[in-house]
Amino acid sequence: MTAPTITSIRAGRIGDSPQRPDGRQKVTGEFAYSSDLWLDGMLWGATLRSPHPRARITGLDITGAVAMPGVFAVLTHEDVPGRETYGLERPDQPVLAIDQIRYQGEPVALVAADHPETARRAAGRIRVSYREEPPLADARAALAPGAPSVHPGGNLVRHVRVRRGDPDARAAVVVTGEYEVGMQDQAFLGPESGLAVPAADGGVDLFVATQWLHVDRDQVAASLGLDPDLVRITLGGVGGAFGAREDLSMQIHACLLALHTGKPVKMSYSREESFFGHVHRHPASMRYEHGCSAGGRLVYVKADIVLDGGAYMSSSPAVAANAATLGIGPYEVPNVVMDSYAVYTNNPPCGAMRGFGAVQACFGYESQMDKMAAALSMDPVEFRVRNAMREGSVMPTGQVVDSAAPVAELLRLVRDRPPPPARDTGDLRSLPGGVSNTTHGEAVVRGVGYGVSIKNVGFSEGFDDYSTARVRLELTGGEPSAQVHTAAAEVGQGLVTVLEQIVRSELGVERVAVLPADTTIGSAGSSSASRQTYVTGGAVRAACAEVRSQLLARAGDPAAGSPGNRPPGLAGAAGLGDLVALLGKPAEATVTWRHRPTAPLDPGTGQGQAHVQYAFAAHRAVVDVDTELGLVKVVEIATAQDVGKAMNPQAVEGQIHGGIAQGLGLAVMEEIQVAGGVVRNPSFTDYLIPTILDMPPVRLDMLELADPHAPYGLRGVGEPPAISSTPAIVAAIRDATGIPLTRIPVRPEHLTATQPDEGPDPPSAMIMGRNAPHRVPFDPRS
Amino acid sequence: MQVPTHVEYERASSVDEALEMLSRAGGEARPLAGGHSLIPMMKLRLAQPELLVDISGLTELSYINVADAELRVGALTRHAQLLDSAVAGERLPIVHDAERVIADPIVRNWGTIGGSLCQADPSEDLSAVLAALRATAVIRGAGGVRTVPAREFHAGPYETVVEPGELLVELRIPLTANTGSAYEKVERRVGDWSVAAAGAVLTLAGELIEDAGIGLTAVGAPHFCAPEAEEFLRGRRAGEEAFTTAGQIAAEHSNPVADQRGPEDYKRHLAAELTTRALRKAFERA
Repeated sequence: MTAPTITSIRAGRIGDSPQRPDGRQKVTGEFAYSSDLWLDGMLWGATLRSPHPRARITGLDITGAVAMPGVFAVLTHEDVPGRETYGLERPDQPVLAIDQIRYQGEPVALVAADHPETARRAAGRIRVSYREEPPLADARAALAPGAPSVHPGGNLVRHVRVRRGDPDARAAVVVTGEYEVGMQDQAFLGPESGLAVPAADGGVDLFVATQWLHVDRDQVAASLGLDPDLVRITLGGVGGAFGAREDLSMQIHACLLALHTGKPVKMSYSREESFFGHVHRHPASMRYEHGCSAGGRLVYVKADIVLDGGAYMSSSPAVAANAATLGIGPYEVPNVVMDSYAVYTNNPPCGAMRGFGAVQACFGYESQMDKMAAALSMDPVEFRVRNAMREGSVMPTGQVVDSAAPVAELLRLVRDRPPPPARDTGDLRSLPGGVSNTTHGEAVVRGVGYGVSIKNVGFSEGFDDYSTARVRLELTGGEPSAQVHTAAAEVGQGLVTVLEQIVRSELGVERVAVLPADTTIGSAGSSSASRQTYVTGGAVRAACAEVRSQLLARAGDPAAGSPGNRPPGLAGAAGLGDLVALLGKPAEATVTWRHRPTAPLDPGTGQGQAHVQYAFAAHRAVVDVDTELGLVKVVEIATAQDVGKAMNPQAVEGQIHGGIAQGLGLAVMEEIQVAGGVVRNPSFTDYLIPTILDMPPVRLDMLELADPHAPYGLRGVGEPPAISSTPAIVAAIRDATGIPLTRIPVRPEHLTATQPDEGPDPPSAMIMGRNAPHRVPFDPRS
Repeated sequence: MQVPTHVEYERASSVDEALEMLSRAGGEARPLAGGHSLIPMMKLRLAQPELLVDISGLTELSYINVADAELRVGALTRHAQLLDSAVAGERLPIVHDAERVIADPIVRNWGTIGGSLCQADPSEDLSAVLAALRATAVIRGAGGVRTVPAREFHAGPYETVVEPGELLVELRIPLTANTGSAYEKVERRVGDWSVAAAGAVLTLAGELIEDAGIGLTAVGAPHFCAPEAEEFLRGRRAGEEAFTTAGQIAAEHSNPVADQRGPEDYKRHLAAELTTRALRKAFERA
């Protein structure tokens, strides 16, 4: 068994777009994902999950499962040797349910068997007696006095208050709005999977697809009751993440089974189980009030945002802080009253997903900006430009934006793009309903909408956000070659390519190998918050500088003491011969690198230097809507984004296209439909993800305005594309139809007279009253 | 990993042999054609046949030809073959409209016409198309051949009149002069199941509608058709007014169920609108 080793000798320095070392393997199916891990003699783990969203466990009988031939272990919470709970911010989530169930799909028991089907069937023979209780399924109701508590201490996970200026400010023009965001799923393609191997020293080696190896390790070790050094984690091949792998899924479970049986244990979720195996994007319920002068300058914003965190905390506190601190958007507003709440309910747990709190708020504030522009009879772009934040602007937190904030420029860029061509009614693919032949142009109306967004990059609020990198330069076959070792997770974003580019640029060598990420080196932090190129890239650059300094010292160069001083011969075209002479023995450096510190928010006022960097993007959406059938075709997205420095322009473009696809999904397709705490569509047949035919052409303007505080001037790029693409598309649909549209995703029935989009989750309520027809989760056509 | 339960497998080299194998195993045998429905259902253990009779090698059941003013389609014909058929495209545009929106090219390359119909999924497209066209199903068993009108082929969701030991072998679709047809489908994303779909076949006599066939998919229309709307159209002057009213009648007689793809009212609304649009298109093509 081998973890995927990603090496490359392809050329490509910073600013180039070299081929990804894993690209060909992924396209041809040769890439080893974590679900491909295999050891002879390994067992298969299966999880028994609760069918109920809220219940007391009154009995548990494992004898039927234990008796099955081929079964090696059946474990319950009593078999957890260490801490019985885990969690990113607070360990409030049981490894296995203890006495109660707080969400549908909560793990209750584990089985290890010699065949996956045996394991699954044995899990089915475990008898659990539940006493069902009515689930707490509405986040605002969960905050009401007297609501039953999901956890001791009440249902409020965190309340973030931000106060700036005069809380009683008045304005000439006032618009209010209430908005809702449904539950989006990260919908990665590689389900949760991994392989735990018991070790002779009493520890365990875990190979797993994850986003943050060290935080996994610490949580696994605590629950196993082991010293963290005895839990060694190596990154398996990751089939997408988008935040969903920041929390644990099968990590502790597989390790428990491996240690219990003394055999390697593999766990790999089915698609359906995957929907219950990871956190989702928080649904949100938002109320906004915007006040504006008659001349079109924002005077105040008052808002409250309620985020449904579901049954466990996960990263809800940080999501609530993002929604609060970024919740008025990239605008200058002198007076702000913002309250953001994360709440426990009996819905599926929610946590990290691309955009992390900024997505929900952006739908609210951008909807409001359009509403206000209409109230003022102003052009929506002109109104935004007039209020746009710039470098030197002050955030509602009091933080000064101290690098480029080209909000007005981004808006003008997308506005000034030539409009897409008129409809081609001869090409069905370009029409709403696509090749389904439903329209040849009848009842189709075009609309245009805009959105602009702000996102923090990196971890905030005083978190010690760092990464560790080891760079080793040595002669291999007489040629200088570099090895890079970090614990940073390549989750498909292209990090390994960028790290190679950094080493080539810094050390002037062509041969670079990125070693498998594991916990034998210090933490790299999470592959999330658009931070990994910034932070691990920064660490790799710093390690390269150390290596360079060592070599200069060997050469007796007086510049050796100042690693930033780039000498000729180590990064230029010449000097390979010099390098060979200097590398009689390898040069190696391990560096822990931090970005500049942030500070906590004042709990009363939300004031503080909470974020390290801000990123901005603007979108213009053009849509065609079949107003009789309620079908939307997104015709084109024009976008502009400041990336500081395009380290790998093609990868940046890929991030932007992918983020827009995810934003489109939230606008018109993607929703985990939850009714009374029960998920109605846990399959890719019923959870709709945009395909290439749903995805429009993207017209992209990329700005490179260097951030002087960041390595190479770069700015995190991963998240902004997924944030304002959604409100831009919804604004375009409003423009086409005149329907207010206060809830996303917009559904076809919202666009016809048959179903208003008001009220909490009408489609789910509809399902509750009837039996949904039997639907098998695949495509049974023969 | 999803694993079916234990199953025996036999490969038939002729229709007679297939029938013999099927009847020997009684109700516990299933014919395997394209396998795009059966195999996934077996993996999920929603189907647990004891014997699979592989009929995918029976080239004698794979053909498209014209005889006696009928298009005759062998049950083992792949969706892609029907989509490639020039005669089907010219004479029966409704068939090509539907085939274009059945799943995706990979499924169409291997999935069979007979398998689709025998799966009898309420969201399956060809059932409504063949109902609109008033096609006939040819079924063979040990006792010989019988024919069943497409409108009597389904006994309920996932249920047909094909008995254990029988095989659907052919579909016969009437080719009528002065006739146009169309199929229109709403799906939430490309390649997805129908939220709702409608097919229309119009035979004209001058400005009057001599005969009409309307098929409805996924909206709970009994036997996938709308006889009340057809009756309304018969003898009426073709045009916008008649098509709109027919759409409303079809919607009134449909009985959609709310699911993840939409609420009842929206589906009924679609039944009306899509019927009207399909009639309009069929009229253009007549």
